[in-house]
Amino acid sequence: MPEQLLGDITKFLPEITLTVMFLVAICADLMFRKSPQIVAGITLTGLILSGAFVLNQSGMNESIFGNMIAVDPFAVFFKVIILMSAIFVIVFSLSSVELQTASRRLGEYYSLLGGLALGMMLMAGASNLLMMYLAIELSSVSSYILAGFTKEAPDSSEASLKYVIYGGLSSGLMLYGISIIYGLTGSLDIYEINHVLAQGSVSGSALAIAGILTLVGFGYKISAVPFHFWTPDVYEGSPITITAFLSVASKAGGFAVMIRFFKGVFIDPSATHLPEGMWASLSGFEWYHVVAAISVVTMTLGNLVALWQDNMKRLLAYSSIAHAGYMLMGVVVLSNEGLAAILVYFMVYLFMNLGAFYIVMVIANKTGSEDVEDYKGIGKRAPFLGVALTVFLISLTGLPPTAGFIGKLYLFAALLNSGWIWLAIVGALNSVISLYYYAKVLRNMYLRSEASEKKTEMIDIPRVQVATVLVLLVPVIALGLYFTPLVEMAQASVKMFGSP
Amino acid sequence: MAHELIPYALFLPLLGFLINGMFGRRLKSEALIGGIGSATVGIGFLIAGWTFVEMLSLAPEERTFIVPVIDWITAGNLSVNISYQADQLSILMMLIVTGVGFLIHIYSIGYMHGDPGIGRFFAYLNLFIFAMLNLILADNFLLMFLGWEGVGLCSYLLIGFWYDRKFEKGTTGDAAKKAFIVNRIGDFGFLIAMFLIFMTFGSLSFQAVFAQASAFPAGSVVITWITIALFLGATGKSAQIPLFVWLPDAMAGPTPVSALIHAATMVTAGIYMIARCSVLFALAPTTMMIVAVVGAATAFFAATIGLVQNDIKKVLAYSTVSQLGYMFLALGVGAFTAGLFHLMTHAFFKALLFLGSGSVIHAMHEEQDIQNMGGLRKYMPITSFTFIIGTIAISGIPPLSGFFSKDEILWKTFSGGHIGLWIIGAVAAVLTAFYMTRLTILTFHGEKRWGEGKHPHESPKTMTYPLIVLAILSVIGGAVGWPAALGGNNALEHWLEPILERANNEMHLIAPGHDPMEYALMAFSVGIAVAGMFLGYTMYLKKKEMPAKLATSWPRLYRTLLNKWYVDQIYEASVVSPIQVGSEKVLWKGVDVGVIDWTVNAIARLFGFISKYARMAQTGVPETYVFVFIVGVVTIIGFLALK
Repeated sequence: MPEQLLGDITKFLPEITLTVMFLVAICADLMFRKSPQIVAGITLTGLILSGAFVLNQSGMNESIFGNMIAVDPFAVFFKVIILMSAIFVIVFSLSSVELQTASRRLGEYYSLLGGLALGMMLMAGASNLLMMYLAIELSSVSSYILAGFTKEAPDSSEASLKYVIYGGLSSGLMLYGISIIYGLTGSLDIYEINHVLAQGSVSGSALAIAGILTLVGFGYKISAVPFHFWTPDVYEGSPITITAFLSVASKAGGFAVMIRFFKGVFIDPSATHLPEGMWASLSGFEWYHVVAAISVVTMTLGNLVALWQDNMKRLLAYSSIAHAGYMLMGVVVLSNEGLAAILVYFMVYLFMNLGAFYIVMVIANKTGSEDVEDYKGIGKRAPFLGVALTVFLISLTGLPPTAGFIGKLYLFAALLNSGWIWLAIVGALNSVISLYYYAKVLRNMYLRSEASEKKTEMIDIPRVQVATVLVLLVPVIALGLYFTPLVEMAQASVKMFGSP
Repeated sequence: MAHELIPYALFLPLLGFLINGMFGRRLKSEALIGGIGSATVGIGFLIAGWTFVEMLSLAPEERTFIVPVIDWITAGNLSVNISYQADQLSILMMLIVTGVGFLIHIYSIGYMHGDPGIGRFFAYLNLFIFAMLNLILADNFLLMFLGWEGVGLCSYLLIGFWYDRKFEKGTTGDAAKKAFIVNRIGDFGFLIAMFLIFMTFGSLSFQAVFAQASAFPAGSVVITWITIALFLGATGKSAQIPLFVWLPDAMAGPTPVSALIHAATMVTAGIYMIARCSVLFALAPTTMMIVAVVGAATAFFAATIGLVQNDIKKVLAYSTVSQLGYMFLALGVGAFTAGLFHLMTHAFFKALLFLGSGSVIHAMHEEQDIQNMGGLRKYMPITSFTFIIGTIAISGIPPLSGFFSKDEILWKTFSGGHIGLWIIGAVAAVLTAFYMTRLTILTFHGEKRWGEGKHPHESPKTMTYPLIVLAILSVIGGAVGWPAALGGNNALEHWLEPILERANNEMHLIAPGHDPMEYALMAFSVGIAVAGMFLGYTMYLKKKEMPAKLATSWPRLYRTLLNKWYVDQIYEASVVSPIQVGSEKVLWKGVDVGVIDWTVNAIARLFGFISKYARMAQTGVPETYVFVFIVGVVTIIGFLALK
């Protein structure tokens, strides 16, 4: 037993690293209050070290701590996404002007970012309902604090409070759902629950209610409609770095835990009658129809409401809701192909979404505004940022030759291959709608010029920030032209412990 | 070993493009810019040469190398790799492209001296070489198409290099657009062919497609359509009827560009492509006939126009169109080797002639009208001497290179039983000898017809050395295809045999032998070439009143030729105007504004309307949120309960 435990601990090294880093960062913050860069450095080191351990886990496919946490290619992929976005966000934060308003608490900010990343990593691996719940709570609590980090700004505090209320509600419902499942099956371990369900003695309707209530918790994390209401307010009120992080990493964690829950619990791992890569759903609860409906509502509402937004952060918030809707389509098809498409999409989304947010931040640093109206003439005043933002927005729309196109291509291909034609059409129409509001930004940047003389001087950007933009920009174009390695990596990462 | 370096031969010009393209303005030294541009291509030539030597040391059937670089696209059953195929055919092309390309790069250093855009110029040239090498070294249709489009783009950029200069009725920009648009029509054919190939064979890789092609019977419908579509692509890129109109206008670009792209390399892409797909073409006798007829017609037609043109580059441009027609004639009658042989010799002497004309234009301060030249022989001895060599070579006088390749084409046409095509080809040969002699005499001989303000001088060494090298190649280049009938062994034919074997078997060509007819035709070829040259000599040096007299006695014919058979006007009236009018009146004002815009705007307003109300849900009040949340959960459960 102790040998077993020791072995498990070595497979838990990425998370342990982050925990240690978190503690060290807090202590360092107490000692070096004046220079939060030290804490940032410690957090960054911890994240990179943890990333190294995660990469070391590639190819592993097992479960540790008595089936509490799975260490499999699927978890590794999402951990990589989460760590990469955490690293990017820390780099972003170092050049944020907005955060300087609370420079005394910045050390806290960086250490909490590390804690948040830890919660999300646990979400990626959790394979026990209790572990899932705890992981979600850990990341939520860190998020609440970070969302209200610039508490001097009134909407920041408001956002944080709304977030708490909403999070509390959804985790309450989720706990309720989990308790019903426990009552029905007598276990919290997803593999065992699956085993019990496979015997077919569980009441379908009770299971449906429990499933839906649990879904609420995940739906809230990935901001799926109608559990999305916190998103626009929190995204707008939070510091933009946190918004960027929540929109990518938090969604990644939410998707990871949700997919593992549904696949682990409701898919029959022993089914052999389906073609390779297709999943056999256990009868009783047709959750994928619910997910399809949620996906349609989510992307449509996200896109429609985005049309009217005049604040860039809010616009990107709704756009990120719409993207969650696109990715949900990949869950609906019940196949490894759909899952691989989600993974491809996530990697692409990481670069294009973080890139867009970062440029909004850099521009806000200089102009102090996030208004779409204030983007007039940006194309001339900051040519590099203008071009880069154009590429990111085109990629978010999903047009070639950018990576966003490849992401959508694989999603739609998966849908068409499994006969979900109407869903693919809805998805494609939604992409068309999204073009409108993304193009509105482009139009302001290039075709409209600012009337007043004051706002025509060039915007200078430090070299470091140019380099950061390039690091995000290059993959968006490169993955649009040469995507085979990414696709192969995603296809290799659909493998989950205990599933076909 | 050497073939593994082939990706570098492509990568280096790309690097040169990036360096000169991004920093060309900051690099102050022309020598550095030109040096980078030339060196990248020169190294490519060395790699090609080394690979060639490596091939020589191997048995003929082992001479095909596939050099994979990356797996580019894998989607469903479509799999496309960036990987290069070096074999007897592509290495021949690579040697020509990098070899002639290198000389022209060197020449450009002198020619573009003092031009503020020299960095941009070399950047484009290098990009062109990169694209061209992709075209000829690709091991699949998609990568070839990428190169095909790439060279089209570079051609556009280089024709319009002096985008603000006047050219005929518009600017050079208009000429560039014309080239691009006409090429697009051809490219469309290539695309269609690619779709058909993928549908039929399920692959785009040359080896897979050609291996499966044998299963199809000769004359099968799908192969015929594939080859016709491919040939449409070739007519665009290689300036054949009906898509040749862009090439004469392409002369608006700097002269080295005309030499490199519009004479020696890019325009031969169509020839190369058909030779590469010879297996497919051999299975489609109908297409082969079309290719042969179009080639012969173009050879004749362009030669007649060349008779009366007065712009030195225009004459050469029509001559290029005409010579390309010869190559297609060769391909069409199944003499793939002869077509490629002529491609090679033509690359030498046409590059030489173009560079020579560039040297003249340079010396005459941008004067291009041969009526205002004459007597330049004394002022520019090297240019004049090498130009005359080029003229003799293209006219087909032995033992210069042009004789062998042209004679082989004519002989293969004749021996294949295509007597009609042979007659057309022979007439075109007379015309070629005539107009080239006319051009040479009007430019270099006779009395000077230029004003006092001009001081012609021999060009700098960077320009004359390439001329000398190309002149030597034009003289001896025919040796590689020395026919068996004259005691040679036609090394080129043996070299290319493994590639073309299957197509040749399909075509049932007569084996090379000692047919007495071949000697007779050879003598006849020489005879007509001499006759053409003599006629030119007489008319333009001895009896100078004759041309004018001829023009006045057949005014209509003269004007028709001068106006290039009115092809541009016919296209304008039959294609361009109807499209313009139709697109303005019907498509734009009717369909676009009336139907599409209206619908789109209506839908947009609808969504705007919905969206306006949808966003009201986001009240900002947490109570509402919680309420909607709960309603949502209940609705979903209800939805499931009802099902």
